Amino acid sequence: MGIDMTVTIGGAAGQGIQTVGDLLALVCHRAGLYLMVINDFESRIRGGHSFMQLRISDEPVYAADDGIHLLVALNRGSLAVHAEEIRAGGYALIDERSEGDDKAGEGGEAGIAVVGFRRLAEEAGGRIMANTVAAGAALGTLGAPDELVESVIKDQFRDKSQTVRDNNLEAARMGRNAVAEIRFDWRLQWPGQNPRGKLVSGAQALALGALAADCRVACFYPMSPATGVMVGMAGYMDRFPLVVEQAEDEIAAINMVIGASFAGVRAMTATSGGGFSLMAEGIGMAGITETPAVVVNAQRPGPATGLPTRTAQGDLHFVIHAAQDEFPRFVLAPRTLDEGYETMIRAFHLAEQYQVPVIVLVDQYFTDSLGIAGRKWVVPEIVERFLVSDAEMENPARYRRFSTSGSGISPRAVPCAGKARVMVTANEHAEDGHLSEAISDRNGQMEKRAKKMKRMVEEMRSPEVLHPDSSLLLVAWGSTCGVVREAVMRLRRENHDVGAVFFSDIWPFPAAAAAVALSGPGQFVMVELNASAQLGALIRAHTGLHAAGAIVRYDGRPMKPGGLMHDAMQYLEVSDG
Amino acid sequence: MVDLNAYHNDFENKWCPGCGNFGVLNAVKKALAEQEIPPENVLLVSGIGQAAKTPHFLNCNFFHGLHGRALPVAAGALLANHDLNILVHMGDGDCYGEGGNHLLAALRRNLDVTLLVHDNRVYGLTKGQASPTSRYGFASSAQPFGSFSDAMNPMALALSQGAGFIARGYCGEVDHLAGLIRAGMAYPGFAMIDIMQVCVTYNPVNTYSYYNERILMIDEKEHRADDWQAAIHMALQPEETIPIGIMYQKETRPFTSRIRTLSDGPLIARTRDPSAVQAVLDELG
Ligand SMILES: Cc1ncc(C[n+]2csc(CCOP(=O)(O)OP(=O)(O)O)c2C)c(N)n1
Repeated sequence: MGIDMTVTIGGAAGQGIQTVGDLLALVCHRAGLYLMVINDFESRIRGGHSFMQLRISDEPVYAADDGIHLLVALNRGSLAVHAEEIRAGGYALIDERSEGDDKAGEGGEAGIAVVGFRRLAEEAGGRIMANTVAAGAALGTLGAPDELVESVIKDQFRDKSQTVRDNNLEAARMGRNAVAEIRFDWRLQWPGQNPRGKLVSGAQALALGALAADCRVACFYPMSPATGVMVGMAGYMDRFPLVVEQAEDEIAAINMVIGASFAGVRAMTATSGGGFSLMAEGIGMAGITETPAVVVNAQRPGPATGLPTRTAQGDLHFVIHAAQDEFPRFVLAPRTLDEGYETMIRAFHLAEQYQVPVIVLVDQYFTDSLGIAGRKWVVPEIVERFLVSDAEMENPARYRRFSTSGSGISPRAVPCAGKARVMVTANEHAEDGHLSEAISDRNGQMEKRAKKMKRMVEEMRSPEVLHPDSSLLLVAWGSTCGVVREAVMRLRRENHDVGAVFFSDIWPFPAAAAAVALSGPGQFVMVELNASAQLGALIRAHTGLHAAGAIVRYDGRPMKPGGLMHDAMQYLEVSDG
Repeated sequence: MVDLNAYHNDFENKWCPGCGNFGVLNAVKKALAEQEIPPENVLLVSGIGQAAKTPHFLNCNFFHGLHGRALPVAAGALLANHDLNILVHMGDGDCYGEGGNHLLAALRRNLDVTLLVHDNRVYGLTKGQASPTSRYGFASSAQPFGSFSDAMNPMALALSQGAGFIARGYCGEVDHLAGLIRAGMAYPGFAMIDIMQVCVTYNPVNTYSYYNERILMIDEKEHRADDWQAAIHMALQPEETIPIGIMYQKETRPFTSRIRTLSDGPLIARTRDPSAVQAVLDELG
């Protein structure tokens, strides 16, 4: 690996961290570099501190890393917060010097460059461009070619006046000139303009997947970190047969989704744990009325309100069991951006094929992070609807929505589309859709629904396995797979005998495939962002296989490769020795 | 007029003999028949309760969902297909209690459905507890010392929230109620009809004779439907008399005509264009 470095932009909320970060990300993307950008919104010191961290590389990267090569400190506090993390030889770009600012980095060996973001912005035409000055300075430090930076700035301010564009170009130039003297050890080789894929966030990947899947109604109640998914769709209402509607609460959102789906279009919602809790009864209704519904749960830590802007994987058991009694559902946990897009297409397909709710389980780290999605995103030519109409019925007057004959999947017609009456109740019901307490109806419908599980489990994709014969396998699911992949790659470079197993498809649990993946000669250890290693418990329950241990984190922060390698070494020392 | 039997569904009805819901059921059949809407073109959406079982006794399409949640289901169905004729059946507990927030939202959206609240001022299905419209002091097994809350006033609430069509009906005046339902269905926007419905088993206060003594049909010549002041006055008057009829009606902009996407036809009828998605993806590089 040639290039692998981290740039952190720190400041107070509302200072425009995002503007600087976005410009950097866009320039790197256009140059053909790979990126992993995480957003960390938190108050570590008084006054509020947020940061955006870009890991930049010329090879695909799967996680954020420890250590900072270049810090852009938009306010004074940022330098204090991050000073220790700056690598020897690294740099901090600051606005103006203040007392105590001369030492930074490991052993105080990092440089500090006073750029004067606000002063230069004023010279360029206004203080508002301080962020552009900062971006120009950062890109200058990294040695980004001028024409590349300028082309991105022109695009970013495309919709603004010529003056605004010119002033911003000037601001970036002034930022760059201010750092002309800096000799930065990690100056990048700029490969030229050849993007490696799409620069998107996880939320965007899900939104675009839903669009590709022909989702036509999306209802939601705002809740971090899920809101981005819905916002990511709302802008397309004028270009697609799509309505995105903010509901009065999450209960309304799921019921609207079910109403829309019942009436014949694909529909979804996105929420986080608290909202998902409110949706539980609705999920059950999708189950018993066999109405397709796609629900994204973007996890954050903690019961109730928890840690709103943090990440976690603590809802796994909850989403598998949410709502009373038993009914079939799918739970899918995309591991990468590409998979996020594709999972939404699959989710809508499976929801309609099996007439079940499908839960797409992601987390704050997944939805809020940006990266390069390198695979080609295929737009399905046709979406299969699995609907029946009068024309296909022998006698529409005798149509039975919940017929028990056949595979367990009853014929689904759309109301008011013909003579067939579509009668649906969330009470237990007879085949015709009327509520019923008859033992034969209850058992008939329960068994019919349960029968679907047998076929549904065959839809589950096997976990991906890296180096199955290793003495230690690290087992992860969803977005945590990225950091595990990274750690395994590094550990193997250090000659450790380690592999990994990555689950995306969680429910119905792919027990047979899991057993195969985990039955290698070595032991396996769970890596999860929840306290009890919930996937580990599922594996145990469904395969009888026991993990040798678990590396878990529930403080709301994503894992980084360094810490994970350190934790994994414990198990390696045992097995190596 | 379509034969009333065309709307009949012989699913076994277990309402108590004399239940006010029978009057509502008959009024719905009559309203649909008079408008000549074939049963297969009607979608009934309901919550949970005795009132919410009404769709089972009609030969139409229906979605009988969760307690309190009929309005969002109806909203979703309408977004998918705004050509649907939707009637929403809810009880007072269903609509004003469990689903109160959805009523507020439906009023704000001006959801183009007709809402029939079977308002028996008691929880029927769960055997007689106080409801949001039970009067203060209403005694039941669950409120042996009387309910501690005042009754809400659904008409005044809806009026205060800018509702465009508000009517009150009575289960004992079936033809009159059928006329209100017809007017509600013809109204472009949210039409809310609160129906004085007698519960012969659990509400000993609001009986047929209680209503028969108080009901007064609104005289269209005396009460101009677009006079909001008169309407709110009527809604707030003490219950010595109970005016029934259209209390308030004005022209409004229905929910689905506020959404530009829907001006190109119902979502369900639109064709999918994969190349439009491809174009969006291409914009991302
Ligand atoms: C979430 C939920 N809570 C409670 C119930 C129990 N429940 C069923 S109907 C009902 C109230 C019925 O009263 P109302 O809505 O006035 O209708 P009625 O039966 O009087 O027609 C209740 C509390 C339920 N089904 N679901």
